[in-house]
Amino acid sequence: MTAHDVPAVLAIESASFPAPWNEALFRDELVRSDRVWKVAAAADRVLGFGGVMIIGDEAHLMDIAVDPSERSAGVARELIWALASEATARRVRRMTLEVAESNRAALDLYASCGFDVGGRRVGYYPEAGEDALVLWSRPLAPQVRAMGAARSGGDLVLAIETSCDETAASVMRGGREELSSVVASQVDFHARFGGVVPEIASRKHTEAVVSVVDEALAAAGIGFGDLHALAVTQGPGLVGALVVGLAYAKGLALATGLPLVGVNHLEGHIYAARLIDPDLEPPLIALLVSGGHTMLVHVPAWGRYEVLGRTLDDAAGEAFDKVAKLLGLGYPGGPVISRLAAEGDPASIPFPRAMMRSGSLDTSLSGLKTAVIQYVERERAAGRALRIPDIAASFQAAVVDVQVAKTESAAEALGVGTVVLAGGVAANASLRDGLREALARRGIGLTVPPLGLCTDNASMIAAAAHDRIAAGRFLGISADAISGLRLDSRS
Amino acid sequence: MRPFLALDTATDHIAVAIGDLDRPGAVIQADDFRAPRAANTVVLTAVERLVRAEGLEMCDIVAVVSGRGPGSFTGVRIGVATAKGLAHGLGVFACGVGTLDAVASRVIADGLVGVVGDAMRQEVYPALFRIRDGRARRLTSDRVTRPELAAAEWEALGEPLTLTGWGLTKHGALFGAVLGDDVRVAEPHLWVPDGASLIAAAWAGEGSGSLAALAGLGAAEAFRAAHPASLLPVYTRLSDAEEAERRAGGGATGMAAGGVAGPGGGGAP
Repeated sequence: MTAHDVPAVLAIESASFPAPWNEALFRDELVRSDRVWKVAAAADRVLGFGGVMIIGDEAHLMDIAVDPSERSAGVARELIWALASEATARRVRRMTLEVAESNRAALDLYASCGFDVGGRRVGYYPEAGEDALVLWSRPLAPQVRAMGAARSGGDLVLAIETSCDETAASVMRGGREELSSVVASQVDFHARFGGVVPEIASRKHTEAVVSVVDEALAAAGIGFGDLHALAVTQGPGLVGALVVGLAYAKGLALATGLPLVGVNHLEGHIYAARLIDPDLEPPLIALLVSGGHTMLVHVPAWGRYEVLGRTLDDAAGEAFDKVAKLLGLGYPGGPVISRLAAEGDPASIPFPRAMMRSGSLDTSLSGLKTAVIQYVERERAAGRALRIPDIAASFQAAVVDVQVAKTESAAEALGVGTVVLAGGVAANASLRDGLREALARRGIGLTVPPLGLCTDNASMIAAAAHDRIAAGRFLGISADAISGLRLDSRS
Repeated sequence: MRPFLALDTATDHIAVAIGDLDRPGAVIQADDFRAPRAANTVVLTAVERLVRAEGLEMCDIVAVVSGRGPGSFTGVRIGVATAKGLAHGLGVFACGVGTLDAVASRVIADGLVGVVGDAMRQEVYPALFRIRDGRARRLTSDRVTRPELAAAEWEALGEPLTLTGWGLTKHGALFGAVLGDDVRVAEPHLWVPDGASLIAAAWAGEGSGSLAALAGLGAAEAFRAAHPASLLPVYTRLSDAEEAERRAGGGATGMAAGGVAGPGGGGAP
């Protein structure tokens, strides 16, 4: 910031605070050697500004404001990191600030830059009778270094994933080059219960996480000291399982001083596509189908998500599991139904295709499941032998038809030329082929990651973490797991 | 000084401390506070506060001690997973300490101590200790049982007993009624671990995996002997799914070290 910027800065200051600083204060600040002031500008117009006072190895954020017409566009985040970058050059280790407890937008911004609440100043804002929360950053230099590495494509990231029943770790360079990927599956421990037992999952993660990380580091040929950042799945998923990975990752972050990034598991599934197609670029539509989720997502740009539709009841993978259980085929149901379906006639039983003309992109699978149950009961009551391959093929065709139709509608409505199929159910050959054919007719490309990247893994978490690091989005050590974390939440 | 961290999140009350491997029993820094269902959001900031208050850097820490429970399953896992991350990242050994041992260590007077941990579902984690010369020695293993059974066993000992433990909040009246005049109840604020009692309990441990034994090894040797991968919670109970399976007469009969019986009637560690 220079004296030349002061009039524009004053205008933004007045538009932002009830008790704004005056011109004399700003001019006085600019000549002090223990201050750093930065403006964010575009085409010679000041969009925002901020300043810190340096005391020893601490930078105290004194003021930060963004033009009201430019808010929510990442200007404040860029300012924080520009200040942090210059402060670290002056041997500053951390940034601290006070913020009104009611200022949700500011608290969310600082939390997403990795700040933790370190204390409270009672009655700090006497005019409003309000307390201030005292926030502290994580060590700034490693964060600034990681951001620089990510922006130049050379970041080394260790990612950890424990949201369901796979303990996974991966080392990734530049968000696209997988140096290692280790997945310790617990499926054998859950199979006889016909589904994932959350308490067993949590216990197995606790037992396995250190060894899985060691294996991923060894396979990549590096140690903690070579990394730029750590990443971990923060949600959605089984809360007890998420907590293990997050608590472990936060402990690692505090011990090593490495920045920590929190990744949305569903976002990770979408980024899996970029690992096999490094040139993949939004806008795109993602069809995310797994044991826990079934949704259509519009991705206008990396890191931005609009959920277009989702299942109103069962997830697709869940429906496969339930039907497999009904037919006595064991768990998990997807692979066995898919295999049997290949021997059956998909047109033999007219199972319902729900919500095909609903006008919405939501889907429902509970009616289909009920129809299969009723069909099986009817056949048994009539004393007829069940033609399992035909049931499997007809059920699968009903699931696939609806997903394909909804995906086509979404791509057409948004005029998007690329579709990504993601999640464990993307392993289903019938879904892949059906989607590919239907989209090809419309000239729309389909990207399907290989099976190992569709089921839960940590490479996809590392891939998503790369973009978050570049954007300056970090977690603090007080961050918690969020079992219902939304894909379209702005964190 | 060789400073080590200690933490316990098995109960609603978080305890953190810094000890010194060169001075058995010494408490360099300690803090404890109530944080029901919030351990994951507060334990590391509490650790960092202590480290800074002592003017240390994280890289000065030479070991991590964690409460292993029994207690809240998720609470214990938060402490153990956090300690694993800290120790793994620092490349230092991770040592477990019984949460009930830490509670027993808050009792000063010599004699028999019965610690009652709340196991939820009308059950308790009972354990007996004997305090002698200010040090708690464990007499019974960790287990889960009904409070009336534990109380009756302790009554049958025919010896005056000090009762403590966070399970007394729910079950104190029952234990008092069964044990009658031979019982003294510790002050309620002593029913949970604090930083000093975590350190005392860690030093009271015996055997090759104990803090005292590990403190006598070189850093690399201690890291191998008590690798962060080996630190595991004490559950005493299987998951509901496996308990139901066991009651139905099928499935596994034992519990492996990780707390899971495992497929195919496993149970071997």
